[in-house]
Amino acid sequence: MTFSLLHATDFADRLLYKIIPPLKAGMIVLADRYAYTAFARDVTRGVDRQWVRDLYSFAVRPDLTLYFRVPIDVSLDRLLARRVKLKFYEAGMDLGWSANPVESFRMFQGKVLGEYDRLVEEFGLEVIDAAPSITVQQRLVRTLVTKHVETSHVEAVDDEPL
Amino acid sequence: MTNPSEPGPGLEGGANGGIQPGRYYGRGIPYLPIEGYPGKLIAFEGTDGVGRTTQIQLLREWLEVKGYGVVETGWTRSPLMQPTIELAKSSNTLNKLTFVLLYATDFADRLEKEIVPALKAGFVVLSDRYIFTAMARAGVRGIDRPWLRSLYGFAIAPHLVFYLNIDVKTLIGRVLEARGMDFWESGMDLKSGDDIYDSFRAYQSKLLREYSSMADEFHFRVVDARRPVDKIQDELRKQVAAFLEPVEKPVEATAAP
Repeated sequence: MTFSLLHATDFADRLLYKIIPPLKAGMIVLADRYAYTAFARDVTRGVDRQWVRDLYSFAVRPDLTLYFRVPIDVSLDRLLARRVKLKFYEAGMDLGWSANPVESFRMFQGKVLGEYDRLVEEFGLEVIDAAPSITVQQRLVRTLVTKHVETSHVEAVDDEPL
Repeated sequence: MTNPSEPGPGLEGGANGGIQPGRYYGRGIPYLPIEGYPGKLIAFEGTDGVGRTTQIQLLREWLEVKGYGVVETGWTRSPLMQPTIELAKSSNTLNKLTFVLLYATDFADRLEKEIVPALKAGFVVLSDRYIFTAMARAGVRGIDRPWLRSLYGFAIAPHLVFYLNIDVKTLIGRVLEARGMDFWESGMDLKSGDDIYDSFRAYQSKLLREYSSMADEFHFRVVDARRPVDKIQDELRKQVAAFLEPVEKPVEATAAP
């Protein structure tokens, strides 16, 4: 509960200082994670699903939300390739489900992914398959963003493979 | 949306009236069951300088002499959040919404770490301010009231809520005698003017109205706080005794001096 409210406090501060002013100025705001992360993570930690939605009702609803969906094994491989240890909270070790970080990560993130699937339905998130290469994903991202943003000023998309 | 297969609480966050003491006001904390705990939660509400803390000290001693285990908790006393809140207050960079959430975080920490364990172990918990101060301050600052009620839906309904009621004129005299007017207690953040006296008077009047608008909804026991300390204490002891030891109540009238 405290964890959930602490994140909401941080979110409110960023919303009011970093998100709303540029939106008022007509700029495009790219948010790396948004309230949906809190919905998935906090509910997995046992917070009431409706309560956390009500809590974040002060948030601005995004014009477009991209959800990069990836199987647990792929995300585990990527994380373990980058660094030696999984982060304590990322693996849900605080919940005490398993003393083994990899095992705990599987259990915790499995539930988090389940919550995300629910959010896709509820809030109409655009799902992007995050297993393929960065280039393939980026093309899809550009296609989706183009539908929402005035593209006349945007540079042409690079067609050449990297 | 809520999964219908889950045993969620029957009440929406907005409807707080008529909640049984010792239960969650709203949607509660699903992983933290609290029903049937032997402890009692007694909240003391009232504006800044009304005399809550003095009354709680006296009541605590009295309860302990009678053999009760007593735990005290107070607003912004969470070890986790207190330094952050102090920092935020001193730097004046926080938006009112962020402040509301910081206070709620502090409360959540104390609820889980202090209040619930104490209730489980059968203590009498005396809370120096409860969620109503937070709701009054936020309400005065224009935060949406239904949202506030939903936010604090994880709070436990106290067994007793004493509201120490005072008029602004008496309050001003008392605060000036004791320690003077402080920036936040005068609502200077609302920037209604540079004069601290005028601001204090306007802000505290609004706060008092906000408290009294909650009195029915949350079953406040209103105590006239303009009286001398010992008179107020007598009334509190009578009411607390009647609640904790209902059978002994008639005996009290004939007790030896």
